[in-house]
Parts: sequence; C-alpha cells; structure tokens
Amino acid sequence: MPKALRIVLLLAPGLGLVVGLMALVVYRAAAQSLGLYNFAGTDTLGLTHWQDLLSNHNYWGAIRWSAYVATTSSLIAVALAYPLALWLRRPFRGSTFLSAMIKAPYLVPGLVAAFLLINVISFHGFVNEFLVWTGIWQKPVRMQNDKFGYAVIGLQVWKQLPLAFLLLTGAIQSIPDPVLHAAQDLGAGMLARFRKIILPLTAKAMQAALILIFIGAAGDFSFQSIAGPTRQDSMATLMTQLQGANHNDWNGAAVVGVSLMALSLVGAVAFAGLVQLVAKLAEKAR
Amino acid sequence: MPRLQVKDVAVRFGAFDALKGVSMAVDEGSFVTLLGPSGCGKTTLLNVIAGFLPPTAGQVLIGGHDVGNVRPEARDTAMCFQSYALFPHLSVADNIAFGPRQKHHPKDETARRVAGLIEQLGLAAHRDKLPNALSGGQQQRVALARALAVQPGIVLFDEPLSNLDAKLRDQVRTEIRELQRKLGFTAVYVTHDQAEALALSDEVFLLNRGVVEQSGTPRDIYFLPRTRFVADFIGAANLHTGQIESGAMKTPFGVFRVDSADKARATLCWRPEAATLGGDLSGRVTASAFQGAYLDLFVTAENETIRLQVPGHHHIEVGETVRFGIPIGSIVQLAEDRDA
Amino acid sequence: MSRRALNTILAGAVSIVLILWLVVPFLMALMWSMVDPGQPWSYPDIFPPKLSFERWKIVWETTSLSTAMLHSYSLAPMAGLCALLLGMPTAYAFGREEFPGKTIAQILMLTPLVLPGFVTAVFFASLLLSFGLFDRYPAILLGHVVLFLPFAVRILSVSFAQVRQDVVNAARDLGASPIGVFRVAYLPVLKPGIFAAFLIVFVLSMEEFAISFIVGVPTFTTIPTILFSYLGFDFIRTNAAVVSLILVVPNIVLMLVLERLLQSANPANVSGKG
Repeated sequence: MPKALRIVLLLAPGLGLVVGLMALVVYRAAAQSLGLYNFAGTDTLGLTHWQDLLSNHNYWGAIRWSAYVATTSSLIAVALAYPLALWLRRPFRGSTFLSAMIKAPYLVPGLVAAFLLINVISFHGFVNEFLVWTGIWQKPVRMQNDKFGYAVIGLQVWKQLPLAFLLLTGAIQSIPDPVLHAAQDLGAGMLARFRKIILPLTAKAMQAALILIFIGAAGDFSFQSIAGPTRQDSMATLMTQLQGANHNDWNGAAVVGVSLMALSLVGAVAFAGLVQLVAKLAEKAR
Repeated sequence: MPRLQVKDVAVRFGAFDALKGVSMAVDEGSFVTLLGPSGCGKTTLLNVIAGFLPPTAGQVLIGGHDVGNVRPEARDTAMCFQSYALFPHLSVADNIAFGPRQKHHPKDETARRVAGLIEQLGLAAHRDKLPNALSGGQQQRVALARALAVQPGIVLFDEPLSNLDAKLRDQVRTEIRELQRKLGFTAVYVTHDQAEALALSDEVFLLNRGVVEQSGTPRDIYFLPRTRFVADFIGAANLHTGQIESGAMKTPFGVFRVDSADKARATLCWRPEAATLGGDLSGRVTASAFQGAYLDLFVTAENETIRLQVPGHHHIEVGETVRFGIPIGSIVQLAEDRDA
Repeated sequence: MSRRALNTILAGAVSIVLILWLVVPFLMALMWSMVDPGQPWSYPDIFPPKLSFERWKIVWETTSLSTAMLHSYSLAPMAGLCALLLGMPTAYAFGREEFPGKTIAQILMLTPLVLPGFVTAVFFASLLLSFGLFDRYPAILLGHVVLFLPFAVRILSVSFAQVRQDVVNAARDLGASPIGVFRVAYLPVLKPGIFAAFLIVFVLSMEEFAISFIVGVPTFTTIPTILFSYLGFDFIRTNAAVVSLILVVPNIVLMLVLERLLQSANPANVSGKG
C-alpha cells in the first residue's frame, strides 16, 4: 500500500473525525450568523443579524464584560503562578506537597468549584461566619453575584492557576542549572538572572498560559450564570440565551458565537505580542 | 602570596563526606589540575572555590582575602562548565559580552574585548550564531571566551573536554594551555583524564575519596608515586609486596635490586616501559598485544602477573619465556600505603 | 542558614493559605450535605445543629439523580472506549511515522481545545437539528468523543513513540505474525498509555457540561447538568452539596490513579489534567 494512502487511512478515524466535525461547527456558526440555516424562517444571506446585534447594547456589554473578565483572570493567574513556579524550581522540604496543593483545583470540575465558592462566600458561608465571629463585621454581608465580577474572576483564577503553574514550571525547570550558575558566576545577581535568563527562556510558556486562560475565561458560561452579577451576560450566556427556547434566535446566537471566536483570537494575538514586548524591554533595561 | 589558598576545607552532605580536610595553595599564573576518579570530590572542591557550595568547614582565600562571605557573582573567579552552559537565547557575541555588561563596563571597551577574544579563539565566522548552531568544540571555545571576558584572576575548568571526541580534545587542550601562558591567568582544572593532567599542569593534586593523596609536578607524580592508589591511577604500575633484605626483594620473577634499607614489609613499584629485554628477571608471556610504537606484554610467574612494554619491533609470542631487567633507579618504594 | 529558615516559614504560610483555598470549601460542602432536614442550618449557628445522611437518602429517592448517574456512568466508559479505538490509528501515525504536514496535522488535532466550549456545543446542536438527529445519547457521545480525542491521541502518541523499533524488528526477525509482534513489542509499552487515555476521557466526560447541557437538557440529564439545576433558580444548597461530592470524589480518585499511570508510562510528560 502506498505510504500516502496508508497515512490518510490512519489519520481518518481520529484526526479526520475531529477536523471534520470542528470544521462543520465553525462553518455552521459562520453561516448562521450570515442568515443561512434559519430555523425560524427563510434563509436570507446577509448581514441583517450582524446589524441587529451590533446595535444591541447587551451585545456590546457582553463583549466588554467577557474581555474584562478574561483579561483580568489570565493576568492574575499568571502573576500568581510565576513566583510560585520560580520558588518551587528546585525541591526543598515540603515542595512536593505545595506543588500538589497548587495543582489540586484542576481536579475539581468547574460547576463544583462554583458551588464551593458560593458556599464559602454566601450569607451563611465560612467567610461571613469567620468575620462576624472575630467582630470585624457586625453581621453577614451579601457577597455573591457582586457587580464587579470578583467572584467570577476569583473562580477563574482558582480553576486556572494550576494550568499556568504547570506550563510555567515546565519551562522554568527545563533551564539547566549550569546555565544559571554560569550567569551568577559572571556577575549576575538574582534580579539580573531573572531578567536576562529566566524571563526570555520562559516567555513562550507565559504566552501559552495567558492565551489558554484567556480563551477559557472568555468563553465561560457556568461561572457567570452561578456567581456573576445578575443583570450582566457573558458572551456564552448571551449566546445560549438567544438560541434557547425563549428566543429561538439561532442566527443571533451565531453572531455572538462568531464574535466570541473573534474575541478569543484577538486576545490571543494581543497577549502574544504583549509578552514579546515585555521580554524585550526587560532584557534591554540597564 | 599565593593567588588561591584552600585551608582544610570539608564538605558534608548529610552522612556523606564529599571532602575531608583538603588544603592547597596555587601560585599566581600557574596551571594546576585536580585529578581523580569520579566521586573523589574534585568537582565539589571546584564548586566550593567558585562559591556555589559553602564548605562545612575550612576557608578559601583568594588573593589573601577570606571569601567565605562573598557570593559567586562577586568573586574573582570564572568557570568553564562541562556542559558549556551557554545562554541558549543569546548569540556568541552576546554570550561573551554578558559578563562585562553585567559589570557595567563602558560599551566600547566591552566591544573591543569581545572582538579581541573572538579573534583569539577563532570564532569570527560564528559571531552572530546561536549556541545550538555550533559544534561541541566551538561551544567549548565560546564558553572559554565568555569566562575570559571578565578578566578573572582565576579560571576554573570543570572537565571542559569530556564531551569532545579524542582528536579535538588534544587540539583544544593545547589551545587552552597556550592561552593560559599568554594571558597569564591562574587556572584550576578538573579532569579524570590522567593524560590531560600530565600534559597541561604545573602541579597536579590527585584526589581520592575526599582527600588529596598526593600533590606535585607531573613528573613527581608519575615517577615517584607515594601510594598504591597514585601508582595505579597514573599510567600502569607493577607492584610487588614483600620483604627487603640487603637491598633486594625476592619475587616470583627473580630478585629485584632496590636502593633501600631493610624492611619487613614494603611495596615496590615500577612502570612497564622501564623494562629492558635481557636480564636477571624472567617470566612466561600469557598475553601479547602489538600497539604500534610498543608491544604490550603480560608476563606471569607463579600466579603473579606483571605488565611489560617493549619497543614494537620485537616479536614475542604467548607462551614464550622472556628475560628482562629493570634499572635500579626506576624502582620506587611506596610510602605507607593506606589501601592495603 | 537564614535563607533556609525563611524558605520554611514561607512554605508554612503558603501551605496555610492553600489549605484555606482548598480544604475549607470542601469541608463546607461536606457539612452542608449532611445537614439534617429536620434542623436547618442558618445564622447564627456556626455548625449545623444536627448531622445525618438523611439528605443523601432524600436526594437519591426523590430526584432524578439516579437517572443522571446512570446516564453519566454509561456515557463516560463508552466515550473512553470510542476515543481509544478511533484515536489509536492517528496516534500510531503521530508517534511512529514521518510525513509531510505532520506538524500541521498535530496542531489541527488540538482544535477542540481552542474553540470555546459553548460555541462548539451550540453549533453542534444546530447541526443535529438540521440533520434531524434527535437521539440524545449518541449525539452527546459523539460530542464527547470528538472533544476529548485530542487528549487520547496525545497520550497514545507518546506511548507509541516509546515502542522500540529494534524490539519490533527482533520480533519479526524471529518469525512472529503481525498480531504476535503487536502483543510482544507494542502492547507492553502501550498498556499504561491505553489505561491513561481511557481514564482521562472517562473523567473529562463525567465532568463535561457544555454539550450535555445544550444538547441534553431537559430530557437527558447527566450529573453536571443536574448539579447546575440545583445551582440555578432552585438553589437547594444541601442537594447541590450532595451532588457535588458525588461528582468530585470518584473523579479525584481516578485522577490520582491517572497521575500514577502517566508517571510510569511517560516520566517527563504533562497530562491534560492534574
């Protein structure tokens, strides 16, 4: 059997299935956003659905909100994970325990995490109980569904910190010890070693972490619906609402879906560029 | 005043003593080698001198000053690592310039120094390449240039040639020694290869299990070993233990003449190439290997086997009886050996 | 060594923070799940007045939790099996073959991870509607398989790459049939990878929410969707606590087993989870 044919046959059931279905999904989303496959009426190819949504302030609100939550979550998660990964670079007493605990939230499904959080910050939750008991607060304070999205951001960081930690640890630990020793030997103190050796060599991992967390947080549905501010939609909740039984507006949902994909792409490119810039500046600075 | 002094340095890892009270003094501009088998503590000692490992006891003095509290980045040492440890994201030129830039030397001076080193080490064609585009030998030279760029008082070499193939090794080691003579820096060189140590050093420190067994010039170490370990580690050695009486020791091969006082128990040592054919000693050849310049013979008598090296033009087969002699000056009596 | 002492103090402090970060929420959930229905827990009590497993019984008997569990526990192993079968050929190609476009193929394999989960779910549902496929179980199964194939393929590719060609050659040289070669040269190396791939798809399928929600609700429930219903309008904290624990505890156990397997199979590998 010629090699090309054999490779194609090998890739078909796995890669073929995945790429085929994903391509169909993306096509369907794009097509419906342009008016095709209209379940509620006739197919009309055009930009009407786009115009409808672009003039809808809920749509823009959702985009802004999702971008805000996604950016903040990824920056905070990476900002927390980086020092942890640097600190845990070489083993010391208790370091395996710490690593395991840092990675643990990854084992917890998102919904459960959301529930656990609301439980803790709820009216009768741990935080309220503790602060009332110590006398800092007179009586319990309503904290969930706050309008700044702190609960949602907190959940994203809780859930995604392990991913950032894993990616950064992998890169940091792949820097051979002799390379850092050489830098120290040639006069570089701790800060200089970080700026000139560690940062450039971990820039790619930092990019990957920021991008993956951004994409995950931008497309969030569960955290928003459980712990987010009540009158605010994320792009995923808006999209689901539109296609749901109440509206049956699949085409509108498609517009939001395509926009969400676009937001993910823009965020990814922006973060990639940002990290490159920061790494270059840090290296050049005297 | 010696440039480098190590006084009674000991290093302990948990229950394991990597170094047990090592002392040495290195003069300005000399090239010394720390030689020994793996696990003997030579790399540990190097790391103590560089400052990466604090000693459990003892002192290190550089230029007369105790550097116990001085961090590696502030010591007047530069290290050439076994794995080269080049900065993978920097070009050859930037790697070399790293040290001077760290010390905030003026830009044009740094540029001049870097250019000079690149020229001196034959790296002009690779100036802007990244380390992964270079061969092992080229990376080694970059590592050396990088260390020299900070003009250190002492350059520490951690088995720099062990990752190179044999031919390149010979070439690079000669270059290192020439460079050291020309520039005049003090060199502390770690290796397990005795040929390297003999060829390069002004003084050799032979380490075994955390202590210095013997130190001296290469010739001293080779021709006047003091212990069984030293005799065995450098070159091949024939050893005979027995009683010395009236300047002679009886062995299965015959009587060895020794210029020594009577002693109940002593060990004699001589090198295979010292033997000459024809003489009072004899034995039966059990193995014979032609090596070009010389013929390697294993000679047995009464369950003891010794090794002879004679010029390669001789034909001596297995099973023959060979007669040989050893000049009295080539036989050394070992000092009290601890490895008995 | 003051540096070492500082390190230990820092380690202690961070450990405390982490314990609060992790243990407290779970403890709360556990306590809530054991609140006795007769004596509700409210301010100002610090602990529930009475603990019992009543809640667990009630949830089991009165809600559709048992159906949801049936669905979840029949979806997950099927998804694992299908992912294995469909992924093995591709993993073989990625692990042992060289061909032009291989890097692109490997990147394309990761598309399900890059597309936002809910977008995939909604437009997958849209496709199902158009094609008139109303049967939920196969639909969700397909969704899960496609979503988690990248994980299975990645783990299996690494396993395949570790099969030594010289052992394969030796087997053939000694006259083994293709099946024989597979059994003696491939299988021993692949076994941990196969278990790991199966487990990871199993765990991910159990936790998957987007597709189960969009495609399944309201007729086909899974544990995550039923949990969501308790967190939405009908916030019954105690029920939610019970379901949360049912969802999390087996998964954590499985993930720990998975970690052990992956370490024995691929010492330097990082899995998709954990």
